[in-house]
Amino acid sequence: MRAVLLVAAREMRQVLATRGFWVTLLIVPVAIAGALFASTHFAPHLNAAFTLVDASRRYAPRIEKRLTLDYQRDVLRDLSAYVDRWKLASVDPGAAWAQHDAWPPDAEVERFIAAGGVDAALRRLKPRLPADAPAFELPEQAFVEIAPPRGVPTTQGPEAFGRAVAAPMRGEIATPDGKRPFTVAVYIPQNFGEPGVPVRIWTNGRFNEGLIGTIREQLTTALRQNALQGAGLSPDVATRIQTLSAPIQVSEPPADARRSVIVTRSIIPLALVYLLLITTFTTGSLMLQGMIEERSNKLLESVLATIRPSALMYGKLLGLGAVGLLIVVVWSGCAVAGVLSSHNAISDVLRSSLQALDQPWIAPALIFYFLSGYVMVSMLFLTIGSVSDSMQDAQGYLMPVIILIMLPVVVLMQVSLRTPDSPVMHVLSWIPLYTPFAMLSRLGQGVPLAEMLGTGAMLIVFVALELALLGRVFQASLLSTGQPPNPAAFLKLMFQRDSASRSPRGK
Amino acid sequence: MTAPALLLDKVTKRFGDFTAVDDLSFEVATGGVFGFLGGNGAGKTTSLRMVLDIIRPTSGRIEVLGAAPSREAAGRIGFLPEERGLYRLMTVLDTVVYFGRLKRMSAGAARKAAMALIERLGLEDRAKTPLVKLSKGLAQKVQLATALVNEPDLVLLDEPFSGLDPVNQGVLEDVIRELSRKGSTVIFSTHVMQHAERLCDRLLMLARGRKVFEGTQDEAKAALPSRLTVICRADPKGLPGVATTASLGDAAEGWSRFEITLAPGADPGGLLEVCTTQGFALRGFDIHRPALHEVFIHLVGGDQEIVR
Repeated sequence: MRAVLLVAAREMRQVLATRGFWVTLLIVPVAIAGALFASTHFAPHLNAAFTLVDASRRYAPRIEKRLTLDYQRDVLRDLSAYVDRWKLASVDPGAAWAQHDAWPPDAEVERFIAAGGVDAALRRLKPRLPADAPAFELPEQAFVEIAPPRGVPTTQGPEAFGRAVAAPMRGEIATPDGKRPFTVAVYIPQNFGEPGVPVRIWTNGRFNEGLIGTIREQLTTALRQNALQGAGLSPDVATRIQTLSAPIQVSEPPADARRSVIVTRSIIPLALVYLLLITTFTTGSLMLQGMIEERSNKLLESVLATIRPSALMYGKLLGLGAVGLLIVVVWSGCAVAGVLSSHNAISDVLRSSLQALDQPWIAPALIFYFLSGYVMVSMLFLTIGSVSDSMQDAQGYLMPVIILIMLPVVVLMQVSLRTPDSPVMHVLSWIPLYTPFAMLSRLGQGVPLAEMLGTGAMLIVFVALELALLGRVFQASLLSTGQPPNPAAFLKLMFQRDSASRSPRGK
Repeated sequence: MTAPALLLDKVTKRFGDFTAVDDLSFEVATGGVFGFLGGNGAGKTTSLRMVLDIIRPTSGRIEVLGAAPSREAAGRIGFLPEERGLYRLMTVLDTVVYFGRLKRMSAGAARKAAMALIERLGLEDRAKTPLVKLSKGLAQKVQLATALVNEPDLVLLDEPFSGLDPVNQGVLEDVIRELSRKGSTVIFSTHVMQHAERLCDRLLMLARGRKVFEGTQDEAKAALPSRLTVICRADPKGLPGVATTASLGDAAEGWSRFEITLAPGADPGGLLEVCTTQGFALRGFDIHRPALHEVFIHLVGGDQEIVR
C-alpha cells in the first residue's frame, strides 16, 4: 500500500505541476463566475418599445387591455413560483398567487389585478417572508408602449405617419424602462373596418410576432363583434359567441411524477454522467500519455526493480483518479456555490434538482456508480498506454474504445430524458460497460432497489475481473518492445496465468 | 558461514521456443566486484531481471541476500538498468528522493542520502533542475544516484558504462571501487572488457545463455594457452610444453626470434626452467599476458559482440 500511495502522490504532483491542468481546473469556475457576473451586470433587456395610434378611437383600449392582461399573467405566474419557493401560500390560500396555476385564465388575472396586483400581494407576504429571501423581481414587460415621438403627425393619415416615424425607428428611444429599441409603430386608420382599409404597421426590421399577433387578434375580434351585431345579434350575445372556447380538462400525473419533475431530479445524475465522461477521458488521456512517456523513457525497469507492477498500476489509477476527482469536486463546488449565491430562474431549477438526493441511498449510489465507472474506463486507458510505445500505437486501440463507450452513452443520455422507461435504458443498465452511465442517468427518476443492487453487484464483479485480466496485460507489457499485441495476442495475455514470465516483445 | 550475496542454481529461462538463460549456476560471495560478461543477447539482462523478480525463471532457484527474489529486498539492492530514463519533469533531488522512498526509506533519510549523493556526483548545483534540462551524461549520474541512494548491500549495474564519456566512466569506476571498499557487493554486466579487467575480482562469462567461465581474472587468463617470444639459437620446437613455434626472423649475431604457443596447462616458468637445465641458450624470454578480451574471444567464440 505504501508503494501505491508513493506512486499515486508522484502522479498527482506531476499533473498538478502542469499549466494545462490548472487551465482545465479553472476553466469551469471562471466560466461560472463570468456567466454570473454577466447575467448580473450585462443582462440584455429583452423588451422593446412600440407606439400605437388609433385614429378611429375605437380599438386601442382593447389592444392595451390585452397586453396588460398578458403581462399581468406573467407577473402572477412568477409571483406564484416565488410564493411556492418560499412556502408562503398559507398567507392567503384563496389568493390568485397561491394557486400555482400553470396558465391562469383571464378571470384569475383580473381577480389578481382587482385585488391590488403585485404591490398588494407583496405587502401581504412581507411579514411572513424569510430573512434570506430575495426581493421579488417583476418580469420584464415584453412591449413598452410609448407616445408617438415628437414631430410624428398622428392626424394626417397613415402615409404621413409612416414617413415621419421611420427615422426614430432606426435606433433606441426613451421609455419609462430606459432606452429601448423602437421596433413597432401601429396606425389604425379612422375608417378601419370598411372593406379594404388595412391597419398599417411599420417595424424596424425585427419582426415582433407576439405583439403583431396580439394586435391582429384583438382587431379581428372587434371586427367579428361588429359583424355579429350587424347581423342582428345583441352585443351580449355577440360577446358570448366571441368568448366561446371548447372546454378542455387536462389531467396530469401526481406532482412527483410530472415530466418537469423528472427532468429536474435528473439534473444532478445527468451532470455526473457528463462529468464522468469528461474527467475519465481527461485523466485517461493523462494516464495514456504518462504510460507512453515512461515506456519511451525506459524508466520502468528502475521502478519495477523496487515495486510490483500491480503497485504501479494501482498507484497510477489512484493518483490520476484523485486528480479527476479533484476536478469534479472543484467544478461541482463552484457550480453549487454559484447556484447558492445567485437568485435567478436557473439557480431555482438547480436548487430543485437537489431534491434528487432526498432518498438516503441516492448519494451513496451516485458515488458508487461514478467511482466504479471511473475505474472501469481509466483501466482501459492505462492498459492501452502499457502496450503502446507512441500515441500512434495507442490510436489503434483508442478509437474503437472511445466509440464503444461514447456512442451508446450519448444515446442513453438522450433517451433517459425523453423515455426514461425505455427498454434501451434497462438493457444498457445490465451491460457492465454502460451500467455506471445508464444507472446514473436513471437514478433521479427512481430505480427499484433490487435493480440497483443487481447491477451494482454485477459491476463490482466486472471491474474486479477487468482489473485482474487487464492487470496481466499491463504487467506483461511494461518492459516489452516492438509492435503492440494484436487482438489474439492481447487475449492470450489476459488469460496467461503468470504474466511475469512472458517474453518481452522483440527480446 | 556467510550466505552468498547472490546464488543461481540451475536457472533456466525460456520465452516460448527461445532459451534466454540455460541451466545457469553461480554464486557471488559478499563483498567485492563481480563481472557479468557476455556479448549482446548472452542473457545478462534476463538474468538480472530474474534476480530482481521482474521476471520469473522457468526453472531453477535464485537466492538474493539469503532469500528468494522479491521486492522486500529492494531496500537492500541498488539497480542501474541498461536502458535508462527518468521522469523528465521531476527535479534531480525529487527524483533521487522518490526512488529512495520506493526503496522503503523514510522521507528524511531519503532526502539526506540524496543530497549527499548529489554532492558526491558533483550535481549539487543542479539539485533543483528538472531532468529534462540536463545533458545525457548528467542524467546518467542522476540515474546512478537513484540506484545508490539506499546505500545498498547488493549493487546490480547493467551495462553501467554505456553512454558515458571517458571522464564519467572514470568517475563511475571510482564509485564502484568505493562501494566495494565499504562492503557492498557489486555485480555489473558489461561487454566492454577493459572495465571488467580493471574492476572485477571474479568473472562470469556467458554465451547464448550458458555459462562458459566462472573464476578470477588469473584463472580466466590461464584458460588461454600462453604465448611467448623468445630469442634463441635453435627452434624451440620439441621442448616440453611447447605446442607450436613460428619464426619471427633473425635477431642479429646468429640469434633468431621465435613465437611460442604453449600447450594448454603448460606454464612459461616451467619452460624457462627446462631451458636452463637442458642448456638451451636463451637471449630473450618475453611472456605475453593475454588480455581479457582475448580470453573472452577464446572462450565464447568470435561471433559475440564485444568491445576491447
